[in-house]
Amino acid sequence: MNLSPFFNSYAGMYVAQSFCHSVIASIIADQAVKLWKIDDPGIRQRFRLIVVLFPIFSFPLYQVLNPGRSSVLFRLSALFDINRWLNMEIWGIIPFSILFLIVLAITSLIFLFQEMVPVLRHTLESKHAVHDGARTHADPFIERASNELSIETPEMLIVDDDEPVILSTTGKNPAILISTGLSKTLTPDEMQAALAHEIAHIARSRRPVLLVVFLLRVIMFFNPVVLVEFRRVVRNEEKICDDIAVSITNRPEALAEALKKFYTVRDAPGPDVERPLFTPVRLEEYSYNMQLDTRITRLEQNTPRSAGGRWFSFMIVILIIAGISYFVV
Amino acid sequence: MSYDREVNAVRSRAYGFLYFLLTVAAVIIVLKTLNWLPLVLQQDTMRRYGSVEEVKAKLNIKDLYVPTYFPQSITWPPSEILAQAKPYPAVLMVFNQAGKRDVALVISQTASGAFSGNEFIKLIKITETVPYHFKDGTALLEVGTCKNDEPCSRLSWTEGSYRLTAVMKSPPFELIRIAESMESMLH
Repeated sequence: MNLSPFFNSYAGMYVAQSFCHSVIASIIADQAVKLWKIDDPGIRQRFRLIVVLFPIFSFPLYQVLNPGRSSVLFRLSALFDINRWLNMEIWGIIPFSILFLIVLAITSLIFLFQEMVPVLRHTLESKHAVHDGARTHADPFIERASNELSIETPEMLIVDDDEPVILSTTGKNPAILISTGLSKTLTPDEMQAALAHEIAHIARSRRPVLLVVFLLRVIMFFNPVVLVEFRRVVRNEEKICDDIAVSITNRPEALAEALKKFYTVRDAPGPDVERPLFTPVRLEEYSYNMQLDTRITRLEQNTPRSAGGRWFSFMIVILIIAGISYFVV
Repeated sequence: MSYDREVNAVRSRAYGFLYFLLTVAAVIIVLKTLNWLPLVLQQDTMRRYGSVEEVKAKLNIKDLYVPTYFPQSITWPPSEILAQAKPYPAVLMVFNQAGKRDVALVISQTASGAFSGNEFIKLIKITETVPYHFKDGTALLEVGTCKNDEPCSRLSWTEGSYRLTAVMKSPPFELIRIAESMESMLH
């Protein structure tokens, strides 16, 4: 099976080159964050967004700047030509291009079922959102926090559930849902910290920039690097909301204690249930707990929150990524 | 104390930038190495060759077409030869003007439409496209101009399983004579 004509077409070149550019962007942005000790989740997210957004535009932009970039001559003198690898054959039988396409196909399926379908379902549901649960009177703390973040005060609903659950819906009528189990577990200070975190999520979801990023990210549905990096961006969002919550309550320890309660409950093994360590659910829980761990540590250490900036470093990283990627075809 | 802290902060930032630059250099070296590896692992991938004979010997391309007629204005041997056998056979020969470094003629032979050597001589404006009866078949003759309004012409035809294209910086007369003289090179 000869896939060479596809990878020599504009569509094929876009797919292959955007993959290469995202790998380069990922390595460089990651190293910049590590070596320059960038701890602020907002700035980290900005660096990670380069990996998600840059490969969308790089190939068309380079082609406009230099239409001869796809020529044989340019490819021969390029820093890296992915077609050399795609044209190679394993044991003279299986072309690398087939393996590459399989990876892209798996990524597309993961994207479809783990990102696209849930997002569409959430969007459709939130359009006709009638939240189950008992409405409570407007909480003065929620009103104050919402005012601070310049958003409408969300509804607060109590759901009858023994599990500790708190979540926010971010549709037209945002609401915060709290389980009765959680309201019994958290102290008033911890509850305020948790509520502030959810209000921060609602406020952040009001920013059109995040919606635009997701819509653009859809273009890279096939790209495994973007898939991973977008998840890191989303995980960063939790830390950003932690920081916003702390800026409202000034009580990082209260949020850390609240998070610990989620951690311990989730981690507690059931009395009669024995589960092997490496089932998908167990791994998911492990990853969830790891993430909680880092958030708790950050809050306990009370990592100073920077006021943003690092634009110079950010521009240097973009320029270096763009400069190298130009010679990667 | 505060002065020491400041000095340490500046030093730490400088090391950070230095390590970052080293990382960038490492990325470039890795890319270069990854680009070079396929040339070692697979001999028939696209690369430059020194002579037509070398292409014939190394790539085992059955029919390699070369012109037997050359006007005096063009230099033999080709100044540049690019060729590959996989994923499909393709050969590109670039000829310079006699006594100059300017590209005067480009001949490409390929088993796939995905390959073109048009970047060497670009026909910016095509004034005439006509079918031309040639070697018991029909070729496509395009006449026009290249950069600086220089007259250029291109002839494309099929020979066996290959598509051949010859582009020249001249009116079509010499190009047709060169194309008509092209024959498969014998071992």
